[in-house]
Amino acid sequence: MWQQYSLGLLLVLVAGVIAFFALVLEKDDLHRLLLIDLVEIASLGIIALLGTDLAEALILPGLVVGIAELLALSQIYVMKEGIKDCVVKGLDIEVIQADAPLIISILLIIYGIILSGFTGGGIAGLGAVFYIMSRGHREKFELLEIAAGISWAVWILAFFIFMSFPEYWLTALFMAAVGILLKVAAKMALVGTMWGDNPL
Amino acid sequence: MNIAGEPFLVLEFADELVYLTPYTTTLLLFALAFTIFAIISRPERQVDIVFGGDAFYAKKTSLSEMRFRRFMAIACGLASMGAVVTGDIFNFTLFISLVGICNVGIVAAVKIRHVQEAAFQYGIVALSATVPLFGAAALTAATTGTLSMIELGKATTAAVSPVIKALLVLGVMGEGMAPFYAAKAEMFRAPGAPYVIMCSLSSLLIFLRVIEVVLVI
Repeated sequence: MWQQYSLGLLLVLVAGVIAFFALVLEKDDLHRLLLIDLVEIASLGIIALLGTDLAEALILPGLVVGIAELLALSQIYVMKEGIKDCVVKGLDIEVIQADAPLIISILLIIYGIILSGFTGGGIAGLGAVFYIMSRGHREKFELLEIAAGISWAVWILAFFIFMSFPEYWLTALFMAAVGILLKVAAKMALVGTMWGDNPL
Repeated sequence: MNIAGEPFLVLEFADELVYLTPYTTTLLLFALAFTIFAIISRPERQVDIVFGGDAFYAKKTSLSEMRFRRFMAIACGLASMGAVVTGDIFNFTLFISLVGICNVGIVAAVKIRHVQEAAFQYGIVALSATVPLFGAAALTAATTGTLSMIELGKATTAAVSPVIKALLVLGVMGEGMAPFYAAKAEMFRAPGAPYVIMCSLSSLLIFLRVIEVVLVI
């Protein structure tokens, strides 16, 4: 009988092969960029199949590298096609124009705060991204950047407390959880909104 | 097979590890020297002669473009240095994919259509190469239970299947080694000599390093 790991590996590899096949057939650059994301998920799947603490530690850098490459490529695509000047406004859909994004974002942010930590930051950030994307944005984000920087410093400080004064672990735990929550949430909200105004 | 040469420095941070043998030190110094060249040198001024006449175009590199490309060249040098000294298979693959991004970044700031087209297509190859690359690292951890190259070199560790090694090599090739090198040819035509050299140098270094990795695991 097949073991769970082998079965999972087979599924991920089949998914990868399908994604690569789609990539070969597709000729449009934008669609290839989107398909690349599917291919990327297969690689994360192989790592996730390890199913240990190590896998969790490996997925994060893998995910970050993947997102960084994807962002870099989409930036090149925007430059290459000369569509840099098209300002992104809010989506022109009736449901989005009403209060739905606000409610969904608030729910996501509350759920993110309850989860706390990296996952919570991701979910809260997703809520913020969804709101910003559906409303369009005209604000400056320097303040958010500062908040992300300070919360990152809090996170690092918490690690120093863990190492130097282990008896205050609870304080350090809360600092680390809140710090990473704010940092990831702010970063997620900045993705796709920070660039564009000033050429590099 | 054991790691090449006797390590004279092993830095361990829990399961992360960095080791220096004569082989990796040579590669490290090589990468360091070229990174320093990239920092101190100034960009070339490319001149195109018009065929059949005495006119020529001088291509000028703007300051912001120069800064961005120099930053990317330095980042590429740092990533290559990381890739040649790390003793952890997963960190190795991460550094390799970082080299891939930096190679794209070095030329992406050039505002010439065909260069950006080439950079984009190369980026697609580099991004899809992360599947075999990370896959090989994860499968190595799954078969042997460790990612440390010193552990993997010992005879007691379970042998890694040749398929996994092939996947690793395929991934490294996609990120910037020989056959897919052809995709870089257009990128090399971009102006800005000292920075573009980092593309080929990093390819050479990761090529030399992946040989050691494949022999050890």
